[in-house]
Amino acid sequence: MLKTLSTLEFGETGRVTEIRASRHELNCMGLRTGKKLKMITRQPIKGPVVVLIDEVEIAMGLDLAAQVTVNIE
Amino acid sequence: MKEQPDNTITVLMMGNPNVGKSALFNRLTGANAVVSNYPGTTVDYTAGKLIEGHTTYEIIDAPGTYSLEPHDAAEKVAVLLLDERRGDVVMIVLDATKIERGLYLAFEIMEREYPCIIALNMTDVAHDKQIKVNAAGIQHLLGIPVVETTAISGEGVKKLAGAIRKAQVADMDAIRKRLEGSGEDRDETVPCPGCGGCRGCG
Repeated sequence: MLKTLSTLEFGETGRVTEIRASRHELNCMGLRTGKKLKMITRQPIKGPVVVLIDEVEIAMGLDLAAQVTVNIE
Repeated sequence: MKEQPDNTITVLMMGNPNVGKSALFNRLTGANAVVSNYPGTTVDYTAGKLIEGHTTYEIIDAPGTYSLEPHDAAEKVAVLLLDERRGDVVMIVLDATKIERGLYLAFEIMEREYPCIIALNMTDVAHDKQIKVNAAGIQHLLGIPVVETTAISGEGVKKLAGAIRKAQVADMDAIRKRLEGSGEDRDETVPCPGCGGCRGCG
């Protein structure tokens, strides 16, 4: 099932299938298509959204998270 | 105006924030500065001297950056330092527990054809987290020296200092070939160039 990162439930895991914009910013932090990630927190009203990838927690704004599509496993 | 004698080689330390670059810098240069725990405190870069054998190195601790496309003032300083010092050695410092992430910047630097070496720092943390690191494998794949270090204890620092003179410009095509598995058919009749082990021979 495909979801955007901004709509993932707490603790949900999935694999990144698509990043629509700002790909470079996320890539250099470790978030790339094909990577498995886990939702840590998703604060309401503009974020931040925090995900766990390979031992690393990455935070981003809600609008950036909405650009990332994840396939829930 | 050059203040140092012409046989001084500049080594630029680059890497992600919080990989222990400053601690490693202090170990290499013998400075007594206390390492701060707050990230982003090294926007004004620090420089020090390392004498190894008969060579004097000027070591520069650049601000931590995730990529060569700067997003803030600290990253801009790091990129400026890199751009104005072509031909000098870049020491890429990686967190041994986050190697994949650090390789993004490492490849950006290697693609710009600087002579590089890699320091895999925080090997103590990797050990605690039971993360096994194949430093020799990375060295063989990339064709540049890879040294495991723990800056806070000093482990591996001497070996790292000795590896600076073996810095190589990475051959991206060769790396691609090795990744694709076609590998290099090493011509056994050609003697090893004596570069210090970067072809996986030492």
